[in-house]
Amino acid sequence: MLETKTTPFRYDESLESALSHIENLLKDSYSVSKRTVSLLLLQGDPEIERRVRKQEASSYTSIQRIVSEARANYNQPISYVIALRRQQEAKRILSTTVTKKEKFGIGFAERLSRTMMNPVTGSLILLIVLYFGLYQFVGVIGAGILVDFIESTVFGEWVNPWVTDFVVGLVPLQIIQDLFIGKYGIVTLGLSYAIAIILPIVTTFFIVFSIIEDSGYLPRLAMLIDRVFKTIGLSGRAVIPMVLGFGCDTMATIVTRTQETRRERVITTLLLALAIPCSAQLGVIFAILSGNGLALITWVMAVALVLLLIGYLASKVIPGERASFYIEVPPLRLPKLSNILVKTYSRLQWYFIEVLPFFIMASILLWIGELTGLFNLAISGLEPVVKLIGLPAEAAVVFLYGFFRRDFGAAGLYDLHSSGELLGVPLVVAAVVLTLFIPCIAQVMVMLKERGIKTALAMTLFIFPFAFLVGFVLNLILTKLGVSL
Amino acid sequence: MALWEKVLKTISFGKSGGGCHWGEARLDNNHLSRVGIVGNPNVGKSVVFNNLTGAYVTVSNYPGTTVDVARGKAKIEGVGIEVVDTPGMYSLLPITEEERVARLILFEERPEVILHVVDSKNLERMLPLTIQFIEARLPVILDLNMMDETEVAGIEIDVNRLEKELGIPVVATVATAGRGMATIRKRLVEYVRNQNYAV
Repeated sequence: MLETKTTPFRYDESLESALSHIENLLKDSYSVSKRTVSLLLLQGDPEIERRVRKQEASSYTSIQRIVSEARANYNQPISYVIALRRQQEAKRILSTTVTKKEKFGIGFAERLSRTMMNPVTGSLILLIVLYFGLYQFVGVIGAGILVDFIESTVFGEWVNPWVTDFVVGLVPLQIIQDLFIGKYGIVTLGLSYAIAIILPIVTTFFIVFSIIEDSGYLPRLAMLIDRVFKTIGLSGRAVIPMVLGFGCDTMATIVTRTQETRRERVITTLLLALAIPCSAQLGVIFAILSGNGLALITWVMAVALVLLLIGYLASKVIPGERASFYIEVPPLRLPKLSNILVKTYSRLQWYFIEVLPFFIMASILLWIGELTGLFNLAISGLEPVVKLIGLPAEAAVVFLYGFFRRDFGAAGLYDLHSSGELLGVPLVVAAVVLTLFIPCIAQVMVMLKERGIKTALAMTLFIFPFAFLVGFVLNLILTKLGVSL
Repeated sequence: MALWEKVLKTISFGKSGGGCHWGEARLDNNHLSRVGIVGNPNVGKSVVFNNLTGAYVTVSNYPGTTVDVARGKAKIEGVGIEVVDTPGMYSLLPITEEERVARLILFEERPEVILHVVDSKNLERMLPLTIQFIEARLPVILDLNMMDETEVAGIEIDVNRLEKELGIPVVATVATAGRGMATIRKRLVEYVRNQNYAV
């Protein structure tokens, strides 16, 4: 028998007596010590209770009696008493084995860390990070300069004309030509959206995100935002999936597993599906609105307001207990360039493998849709809704794209804007609705898997009309106030 | 999956069917000894896992849950070992689904050795879990990871003394740089051998 040599440390007398009573009543064999089984029983572990009830049918009532008597001895929950005693034991052991050389004052890293978590200076740092990291780097450089170059120069001047010549020379049939180079062609729409618009944006975003992640800023951000989140019924634990949502909402929905209660998971999933734009959307929207500060602020305010409002209402409506928040704050580190490059590369690879076939598929579907007239039918169905919120009929196409994928819709919006068909108030309204609008197919699938069909369906049915309602109200307010953006 | 159900059937919690009670000898020669890597989130469990296993890794949902569990094979001094990377846990009393799965692996699969990976600069927060493993009489080795950061922070740990206090093997590592991993391997294989021959 290979067992640990030391005898386990002891809890206080009344707890020890309860433990030995329970241990004596446990007659069956267990995969862990009877002491542990007894401790878990005292702490009300439902899984262990079920096991013991089955294995100790005759003495289970006696065990239950001992448990409730033991609990009555304490003012605090017994799990707290036990945790406290273990903490003491840990301290005792460490007092003889660990020494810490006291340093004079606090280091720069510690000072910076505190600045990041302080509500005032922390918010300032957050703004700086958002401005330079997202707005300047992703919005202006990624979605502006890079997209512009790849879209108009690489595709516009080199790829598209060359492929057009090639296809036209190869097949004389107009329909087949359209499949590759038409309005919704595989090359002119699918490939060019994926490579010219989405690729530069997600690349720059992944670089920024990897730096933020590796530096240890993320948990500090969680601490900072914890307060705001508490008012909307979420703990800081929700910050991690929410921030990840700015990368990819689908991934973030999976990450909601780290949250403690079902209630929190439901609220976070809803907010992710509704009000958190993903990296591609974010980059494109920043790029479109970057020339117009007032429009960008309107968009941010509208989406943030929806986030807080729905979060607040959901926390009132959805029953359940509030979770407490506790997070490990690792030390700040200077990110390693090689790590960031590797991370960015592997994320891009993963993203691209997923997105490219999808964009090509979407092109084919749109082509079929146009051929059969289904596409026009769907658009004319959406048109009244689109017009109701003050948008031109062409915007209906964008929402149809958004159905397929968030980033696909965003790319469509970019296209519409750069061709001058969508400007000013309607542009902001379209951006807001598209942000709130239905989550992409991948996200819906994950929602179904993680939250179950009923919850996921309810969320989708809520989000769809709600997004347009917000667009309608926003349009009404902006036009009534006579705001020109 | 098929192997899985077999394992679950033969060593279901409580009933020591097949005589596979940890602490007793494993007589089945085909059975690979199992190492479970456990600990809080963000202490380097996966780095340790990758270091031990190399290329042969499968990631799959734990049956009946949506939590991913990574499993890989390692060969140390000629001994084949299956390594399981469990989801992060803070206590044996689970709160999240991840913790529940981690505990299921410990209680139901009963690995021959448990490698408790901890952030060595936060031992005060880490040791309560080690204490719980010892209380449960699980065969645990303590891996004091991230020793580089601990040294930078000016914290000194008397590893030998800690070993005596806890009564379990303790190894200091920097898993990201591979430091101390050879010792971990040695300790793991010692543990596995001891159990296989102690009849």
